[in-house]
Amino acid sequence: MKTCIVAGGSAGIENLLLAARELGGECLAVVTGPRAVAEEISRSGVDQVIWAPESADVLTEACAGWVAETVAELAPTVVFGATRASERVLLGAVAARLGAPVFTMVSKIAAADAEVHLTHALFGGIAQQSVATPGPVVVAMEAGASCVAETGVPIVERPMTVMPGITLVETIPASHTRVDLTKAQRIIAVGRGCKTREQLAGISELAELLDAEVACSRPLAEGLDWFTHDRYIGVTGQHVAPELYLALGISGQLQHVVGARGAASVVVVNTDANAPYFAECDFGVVGDLAELVPALVQTLRSS
Amino acid sequence: MKIVIAYKWAPNPQDASVGADGTVDWSRTKDAISDYDPQAFELGRVLADACGAELIGLSLGGPNVASPMAKKAALARGLDRLVTIADDQLSWATTTQTGLLLAQAIEQIGGVELVLCGDSSVDTGAQLVPAVIAGALGWPAFTDVTALSGQPGELLVQRVHAGGSQLIKLTVPAVLAVAADATKPRIPGMKDILAAGKKPAEALPLDQLDTTRLATSRVLNTARPQLRSRRQEMVAGPDALAAAAALLARLRTERVL
Repeated sequence: MKTCIVAGGSAGIENLLLAARELGGECLAVVTGPRAVAEEISRSGVDQVIWAPESADVLTEACAGWVAETVAELAPTVVFGATRASERVLLGAVAARLGAPVFTMVSKIAAADAEVHLTHALFGGIAQQSVATPGPVVVAMEAGASCVAETGVPIVERPMTVMPGITLVETIPASHTRVDLTKAQRIIAVGRGCKTREQLAGISELAELLDAEVACSRPLAEGLDWFTHDRYIGVTGQHVAPELYLALGISGQLQHVVGARGAASVVVVNTDANAPYFAECDFGVVGDLAELVPALVQTLRSS
Repeated sequence: MKIVIAYKWAPNPQDASVGADGTVDWSRTKDAISDYDPQAFELGRVLADACGAELIGLSLGGPNVASPMAKKAALARGLDRLVTIADDQLSWATTTQTGLLLAQAIEQIGGVELVLCGDSSVDTGAQLVPAVIAGALGWPAFTDVTALSGQPGELLVQRVHAGGSQLIKLTVPAVLAVAADATKPRIPGMKDILAAGKKPAEALPLDQLDTTRLATSRVLNTARPQLRSRRQEMVAGPDALAAAAALLARLRTERVL
């Protein structure tokens, strides 16, 4: 079964490669961005890299047409790509060009009788569905890290016409250090149960004592702006799998819970004994985080 | 000059219940304009006012999409007019189907120079429809857009990128997904709702669009999500300090800490 990995400006394709290997057969990488990215991917275990030299210093999105045409020419059964924002644009162009269905939140994929069988979450994770398709099909996944394991395969250069009319005027660098929550062992997530911004100081103190990263539910990153976007956990935010997930004042709305279902242990603190998150926790405490957080800090300090 | 707001009329899965076999019961849910779409309406209205463009709503889905309530909800958010593609066959249309059909509708509307969408849909959340629309039209797409200025044909787009942001100038038609925190959408008032009833709304029949170009998949089964089994152990104490101590003790015993 021929598979294609689409990579736009990032060599982080580990999970895509693992999924492609499940299917077996030839795996071709269609890559845009700096040559260094293409070179890194050429040593990841793919069978061939197709790269556009003209893509080296343009926005990933300006390469969508080239990516769609290149993938169509290769005619793979399955196309894998990252859920990262710019790369979703590439995958959408591929899906449109191939008329292929596109699936996200895929938990299982296998080749069966010349078809692809895959299981994916429905409606943000309230149910799951298994489907069979002869392909072509596009799968968007959390792509993972880069993986350099092998000696390189050739990089085939395929010229690109950059989409016209797009000019990068200015880049404003990140004002904060970006955090990668997907690698965190312990995460304290804060929700609307946190009533004032002042309470965050106590939560930071608790995080320090537990050697945990602080994260949040969507309203705190978007409505309230208390957190940067890379700390927001949920269906359209980060998907994490720490050893400990301590949810403080998060009721357990589906769109949030889905982002942390991979956690080994979930501890939930909420004032509402009927909060839905208690049904999906390992340990639960009914209480106000305004009281419980200082109590946890005090207990940890004295032990 | 025309600006299209492509939005979704959908229920929130949070309110649905799921049977043992994974069938989703939507009977207790209510359809609404998808959570993250009002930001697109708001940015679109402000831009349309600034450059004298016509703001056209476009939505696709089951028959509900063209219900009087649905049309009023959309038109009250500042649209000049509305185009709906409502058909039984489009209830739960797939991401690719939705994107390809919306692209065709945008071509039929004609003269569209900008398409704005929300960040993601409340029910599916794949965040891919804008990219499919753009792919089908051969236009560029950008996501996480936080601000717009200028006018279509000479548009300045600010978008979140790598923790910081980028300012991009577009001189071609484009599809943009507006970030959920881009702006604070106005809540329609009584005047808006009353005016909505008088605004033009057009139904675009599905048979005027090409529905053939789509690879198929067949459903093998549905199921409840396979969740890790959790202990659901409640820890309590006479006061916060006692509860905190009890919780930490349990976490240590179970080697979570």
